Amino acid sequence: MLELLRQYVSGYVELTNEEFAFLAEALVIRSFDKRQQLLQAGEVENYMNFLVKGLARMYFFRDKTEVITNIAREGQLLSSSASFLSGNPSSYFVETLEPTTFLSITRQQLEKLYRESPRIERLGRLMTTDFVLQKEAWELECMRLDTRERFLHFVESNPELLQRVPQKYLASYLNMKPETFSRLKHLLRRRPSPVNQNW
Amino acid sequence: MSTTRSSYKAALEQLHHYLSGFVPLTKHEFTQFLPFVEIREFEKKVQVTREGEVERYINIIAWGLCRKYLPLRNKEITIQLASEGHVIHSELSFHHRIPSGSVVETIEPTVFFSITYESLQQLYDLSPKVERLGRIMISDLFIKKDNRYFDQLKKSTRERFLDYIRSHPHMLQRVPQKYIASYLNIKPETFSRLKHLLRKKA
Repeated sequence: MLELLRQYVSGYVELTNEEFAFLAEALVIRSFDKRQQLLQAGEVENYMNFLVKGLARMYFFRDKTEVITNIAREGQLLSSSASFLSGNPSSYFVETLEPTTFLSITRQQLEKLYRESPRIERLGRLMTTDFVLQKEAWELECMRLDTRERFLHFVESNPELLQRVPQKYLASYLNMKPETFSRLKHLLRRRPSPVNQNW
Repeated sequence: MSTTRSSYKAALEQLHHYLSGFVPLTKHEFTQFLPFVEIREFEKKVQVTREGEVERYINIIAWGLCRKYLPLRNKEITIQLASEGHVIHSELSFHHRIPSGSVVETIEPTVFFSITYESLQQLYDLSPKVERLGRIMISDLFIKKDNRYFDQLKKSTRERFLDYIRSHPHMLQRVPQKYIASYLNIKPETFSRLKHLLRKKA
């Protein structure tokens, strides 16, 4: 469980064993059944969650429709980050799709780590920079790519989510109608997969 | 625009004040930053960062006004409007060291406090306090970005228009309408029509 986190962290900074142990001691393990809400809109997000097993999503309601803004799987973070960072009420709901286990840290614990370890503070800075860049990349991608390109780009970079996530959720995440999503799935059959060219 | 020594001094004091809003900095600490900061001046309507070039700088606007846009199929989609105290640059290009997909352009004559990628790394190694400053500024940026993203998805055209104009009343005077319309993802015709709402509300 910690190995996955260590791998994730080392993408940003190299922590010594002592530094990583210091970080690990501040974490709590949180497990949820499927379809359980971790957070409701209007509540303040107190945890930054690293997903070690399972699948979860983040969404809000536009009128009565759920709009999904994030889907996370093993090795990824999922929190209502703007609320976590600002301490303001969350605009989003966070909910599991499968039975899910997180390694979580509270804001207070994280602030304490930052005060005591400049390298962990650097980790925080680099991770937060990455949040900003991912948001920017997603925003630009939505402008640059049409519906069909967005679909293909997404399924090619996340093939296993097609099996694990209900289609209507993926459609919502990609900002397209469920019917459009179903129709676009035909494209996948026609295209030879890059790993199996002779198929 | 007057760019005399005294106005730079005033602008630097403003920068000190601005940064201290994130992390309190003594005069001495702030002075240590200065060798890493360049002051850059541009006329209006100048491309500060071009499409295809790697972004060299992170810029804080000392005075002036800029926009960032995505050139797309003969159109320009405005993704940021920034005035005094705001950070503007092509961030994906700057951090990933890849060619920029977006363009940063001045709307008014503009003066930046700019830091190169290399200087920024050196600054972070200077003291843990800079690390903290960077982390908190980035967090603030993320929160603003998330708010904008959420507004775009959740709010109606009319709400986006009214909320933006209310929270940025001076922008309507300073920024050509078509840029604000593009930023808010509203058609220029719709934008003109929505302006009537402002008169009725007076």
